[in-house]
Formats: sequence, structure tokens, C-alpha cells
Amino acid sequence: MNYIIQFFLAMAASFAFGILFSSPRRELPFCGISGAIGWIVYYLITIHSGNTVAACLAATFILTVFSRTMAVLRQNPATIYLLSGIFPLVPGAGIYYTVYYLITGEKALFAAKGLETFEIAFAIVFGIIFGFAIPQVLFHKLGSMRKK
Amino acid sequence: MAHTKEILTLAVEIADTMLRSGAEIYRVEDSVIRILEAYGLEDADVYVLSNGIFASANENKEDACSMVRHVPMASIHLSRVAALNQLTRDICDHKCTIEEANTRLQECRHLPSYSHIIVLLSCGLACASFCVLFGGSVMEALFSFCIGVAEQFFLFTCQRHKVSRFLTTVYASVLISLLSIFVVITGLPVHHDKLVIATIMPIVPGIVFTTAIRDFYNEDYLSGSIHLIDALLTALCIAVGVSLPIVLFRYLGGLVQ
Repeated sequence: MNYIIQFFLAMAASFAFGILFSSPRRELPFCGISGAIGWIVYYLITIHSGNTVAACLAATFILTVFSRTMAVLRQNPATIYLLSGIFPLVPGAGIYYTVYYLITGEKALFAAKGLETFEIAFAIVFGIIFGFAIPQVLFHKLGSMRKK
Repeated sequence: MAHTKEILTLAVEIADTMLRSGAEIYRVEDSVIRILEAYGLEDADVYVLSNGIFASANENKEDACSMVRHVPMASIHLSRVAALNQLTRDICDHKCTIEEANTRLQECRHLPSYSHIIVLLSCGLACASFCVLFGGSVMEALFSFCIGVAEQFFLFTCQRHKVSRFLTTVYASVLISLLSIFVVITGLPVHHDKLVIATIMPIVPGIVFTTAIRDFYNEDYLSGSIHLIDALLTALCIAVGVSLPIVLFRYLGGLVQ
């Protein structure tokens, strides 16, 4: 039940971000789904292994692949789905806690949080890079399969 | 055959609008080259930066032509990117004459954004959803919604008065942090951190960061570095903006946790 709630909330958030970035109206539901898929992968891995960095890596990878699939199927730039979908994973909380521990003078927590934020950022980097490393030809095949 | 200048102008104008609306460098360069080829210009070169376009065509012939554009960073408008992508596709399939392409470009430039009310509400919705996703309670989500709406309203105001982007970010995060502190002061069972991390999401540099990665991936190192520095500075601005009110209130009596 909790998973379903998480899924729909992530969907609502990404949908709303689609509106903030003026995505085309017809693509908004897909922006929502891409965000929801990314978040649910992140959530599942975090709960079962507690490793947020690995979770972020996997979630970004799947999100990127999903965006590229959608891009081929719906003949739009992958950017539309990727930008709206990636927001739940961006380490906004990391930025906050890092600076919070800095000003409260808790050096150890500050260092730990700062490092974690950077690690998550790098996980996102590599998630996207791995996602784009899959050759475009495969996605084109997918597109032509659908047209038949 | 049309003039070189006419074709190059069309291609560069399309590139200009794409870049302004938030397309990645690689897509813009690729589109220009494809458009020029589709209209039969073979000897062409284009170099796109995160805020500039340099293009030249037919350098060795009599009608040599080159263009330089300065493209300041503007707000993201993904509908335009999608529409221009479709336009480029049609031009490459030779479905579109230069005149038609020009008219369609004008249409793309005037694609409407969503109305202010809808954007305000969706910003609130996004903040409320994030609040629950990050482990907040329903009451915290309600307050996030209100702060999100206020924040978006503030962002619109800054946009209208052309406040610089960094200052906008600092002011917006100060506003968020202050409003959250006020909510906490009322004594309701809410947490300052939950409210802030949910409501800074709309100003967190997720887009520039993603664009930077994609630029690096496509080997546009210079644009990638520019975007990356932009993302880091924005994060720094958020950190400064959020921490100012906390520091202030700690001096005034340690009200925040």
C-alpha cells in the first residue's frame, strides 16, 4: 500500500514539474510516469539495502532508459521526460542538511552529509551516462517494431 | 535555390530559440547542420556554446555568410524544444519550404506557457508531494503547499523585475526558510527541515546539472563546465539563503530545534 502511495506522489510531483517547465500537455502524464518509475526504484533499493548511492545510480539509469524509450515511441526529445523525472532524485535534502550541520557546528555530520551529497550527484552522473551508453540503434529498432 | 543567407538565418534562428528554451548543445548543433544539409548547403560549420551560436556557410564561394548570436539563459520551455524538434524533422524530410518553416518558427516562439494560476498550484502540489515523499506528515505537506505557492509567486515577481538569477535563488531560499521558521514558531508539530527540503526542490539546480552531464557526455566540455559551475553556484546560493534565517534565529533565542 505504501508503495502505491509513494508511486502516485512521485507521479504527482513530476507531473507538476512538467507544468513548471511548460512541457507539452500531451506529454505530461509520461513525465509523471518517468518520475514515478525513478522514485519507486530508488525507494525499493533504499529500503532493502539502505544504500542510497546505489539506489540513485540504478534509479537514474532506469529513468534515462525509460526517457529514451519514450522519446522514440512518442517522437519527442528525451530531455522532456528526463528533466521532469529526475527531480525527485536530485539531492536537495543533501544540500540542506550539509549546510545545516555546518552552521550548527557539527563537523563530523557535516562532512558525512557533504560527502553523501557529492556521492549522490556522482551516482546521478553515472546513471545518466550508462543510460545514454546504450546504442541508439536498439531504440530505433523498438520504434520501428511499434510502427509495423 | 534560395540564398545562403536566408537558409542560414532560418537555421540559426531555430537554434537560438531551442537553446533559449533549454535544449542540450548537441541537439542544437545537430539540428543546424541537418537543416543546412536539407536545404542543400554542403560547406557549413557550426559551433554552439551554452550562451552563444557561431555558424558559417559556403565560406569558399561568393555568397559566403556567417553569423554570431549571443543567447542569454532564459526560462525552460520544453514545449518549444519539442515543437522545434518536430519542425527540424519535417525540414529534413523535405516537407517544409523555407517560408513555411519561418511561419512555423514564429508559431513555436509564441507557444503559450501554462497560466500563472496553474503554475502556482502545480508548484504547491510538487512541494506537497515531495514533503510526503521525504517522510513528512500530512500537516507538513499542507504547509509545504502554501509555501510552494508563495515561492512560485515570488519567483514570478522576480522574473517580472528582471532580478539576476543568483539573487533570485538566494532571496527565494531566504523566503522559504523564514516562512518555515514562522510555521515552526507557531508550535504546531512540524519540522523545519522537512518543510525546507520539500520546498527548495523547485529551485534546486536539477536541470542545469542534468544538462551539464549530457554536455560532457557529448564531449561539449566547455558548455558542460559552464553548466556545472552554474549548478554548483546555484546550490551554494540555496545553502546561503537557507542558512541565513536559521543563523539569525539561533542568535535571537535558539527557536529552531
